[in-house]
Amino acid sequence: MQMTMRQTRRLKLSLTYVLLALWAIFCLFPIYWLIITSVKLPIAVYQGPKYWPWIDFQPNLHAWEYVLAGPLKDQVTRSWINSAVLAISSAALAVGLGSLAGYALTRFQYLVPGLKWRNNDIAFWIISQRMLPPVVIILPYMIMYRLVGLIDTHVGMILAYTVFNLPFAVWIMRDFFAGLPVDLEESALIDGASRFQAFSKIVLPLAAPGLIATYLFCLMFAWNDYLFALMLTFSRASTMPMFVAGAGSQSYGPQWWLLSALSLLTVAPMILIALLVERYITRGLVVGAIK
Amino acid sequence: MQRVDAQPVISQRSVERGSGASLQDRSARLAFLLPAVILILVLSIFPLLFSLALAFMSWDLSRLTGGARFIGLGNFITLVNDARFWNTARVSLTFVVGAVLLEYVLGLGVAMLLNQEVRFRRFFRVAFLVPMMLTPAAVAYAGRMLFNEGMGPINDIIKHLGGPQIPWFSNANLALPSLMLLDAWEWTPFMMIVLLAGLQSLPPEVYEAARVDGASDWQLFRHVTFPMLAPVSITVILIRALEAFKLFDIVTVMTGGGPGTATEPVTLYAYLVGMKNGNLGYASAIAYSLLVMVIIFTTLFLNSVRRRAAAAAE
Repeated sequence: MQMTMRQTRRLKLSLTYVLLALWAIFCLFPIYWLIITSVKLPIAVYQGPKYWPWIDFQPNLHAWEYVLAGPLKDQVTRSWINSAVLAISSAALAVGLGSLAGYALTRFQYLVPGLKWRNNDIAFWIISQRMLPPVVIILPYMIMYRLVGLIDTHVGMILAYTVFNLPFAVWIMRDFFAGLPVDLEESALIDGASRFQAFSKIVLPLAAPGLIATYLFCLMFAWNDYLFALMLTFSRASTMPMFVAGAGSQSYGPQWWLLSALSLLTVAPMILIALLVERYITRGLVVGAIK
Repeated sequence: MQRVDAQPVISQRSVERGSGASLQDRSARLAFLLPAVILILVLSIFPLLFSLALAFMSWDLSRLTGGARFIGLGNFITLVNDARFWNTARVSLTFVVGAVLLEYVLGLGVAMLLNQEVRFRRFFRVAFLVPMMLTPAAVAYAGRMLFNEGMGPINDIIKHLGGPQIPWFSNANLALPSLMLLDAWEWTPFMMIVLLAGLQSLPPEVYEAARVDGASDWQLFRHVTFPMLAPVSITVILIRALEAFKLFDIVTVMTGGGPGTATEPVTLYAYLVGMKNGNLGYASAIAYSLLVMVIIFTTLFLNSVRRRAAAAAE
């Protein structure tokens, strides 16, 4: 009896590992496929699926040369740098404004006249902007940006991504600040610090994990965006997802080896973030969703 | 935006001490909140109203200055009689329901697997997180390669396992389910991570008590885990559903809405009408109808959840 129970438990555990391993393969295989396709010669792509480099096919760096040192070099560099500049600066702005507002919503009391909205209503109004499908507001954006000359500019895109990320940043930072004790800032205020000094010198350092998580999320949303870039840019401020999406529509059929290399260049920073700071991402996700 | 009471929540003391700090806080409270609120008003609420106004206008993209004309309900009359629009509404709804259900079931399954004493947890967590962080436009290309019927590995592997060759994206009936599969690859991780955190926050005493009473694994899941996880489940399902209504990048790059219009969601149709046909007014009417769909869906979903919760409580 004892033996069979142990056996069933062992069987269950092995089954768990098998299923987890299968799911890991399911999650990682597409990335593996991008990597090996990017080092295939066209013939190795069109001959039907080849799985193992050096065994099934001879790896070759022609696609990477074409993308990084060949005809696509300038466009790829510009798009990649654009993506980085837009994502890094818009995320910083969103986190900055988001933590100010998130802090205010946990430490001050508000009442919007006429609407009788209090802090929770304001917070909900802000997060409800996030539920809005961007396609509803994207045409007015395009018209406004064309009329005021923000179309295809870095400033315009940074503004758009900041507003897009702001509701989420406020929501998460509000939750982080609500969890911080107020004693320290109170004593600083009594010692004559201004509210902003107390906020920047005492509260922000304590909220560092929240700031990092929020920043990474905003970075990710901005980096991965396609719709805003598609509607609001065409060359100068065009981003990496735009370039990748456009690269597949040649009349002579998609060049899978190039698309794989370009896709990898696009997703590489995100994979790196997942590897380095998985903890922050997970924490931010959980806070953002459950609270 | 104005306040009634002058003192901040945290500090009754500052009031007692006199006006110095609270005067400062009066300006601080506005200075902290207003930048975000103003930005949202100008760049989110204004475009939203602008879009509503557009929906009642005829305005051509090629005549951006001075080409706007008020046409009342014209766009909405066109909309009601537009078979292609109704098809996109069906595609969007089917996609939301199908993809989110698939992601929930898979996400819950993986979360329960990982909510045990297993080794290599960190590896699994990182590996399981990766898909949701990747750029959808790039994911769509990976999808096009993997599902490719001639040179893709998926059909090849199925063939080696003795299964049939599946026309994933060339068959009009299969294209939408295939798209759900790709979406599930990218977004199951989100469900998994949040549900795992939900599972870990359940009190262990309940399990011990149920175990002592001799409950089987299935009974534990059915009568303890699943009901206790319900609030988290409802939240993740709602969040993912709201996101799934926004479906654009993956479908645009993956299928372009095809074959035919079999995978064309409302978002893509609004984009095509606005940017390719240049009909800004009609595109806004289509986009606004999506917003209405989202609101109706959310209300119905929350109502049915509430009704069930009430029924369960009786």
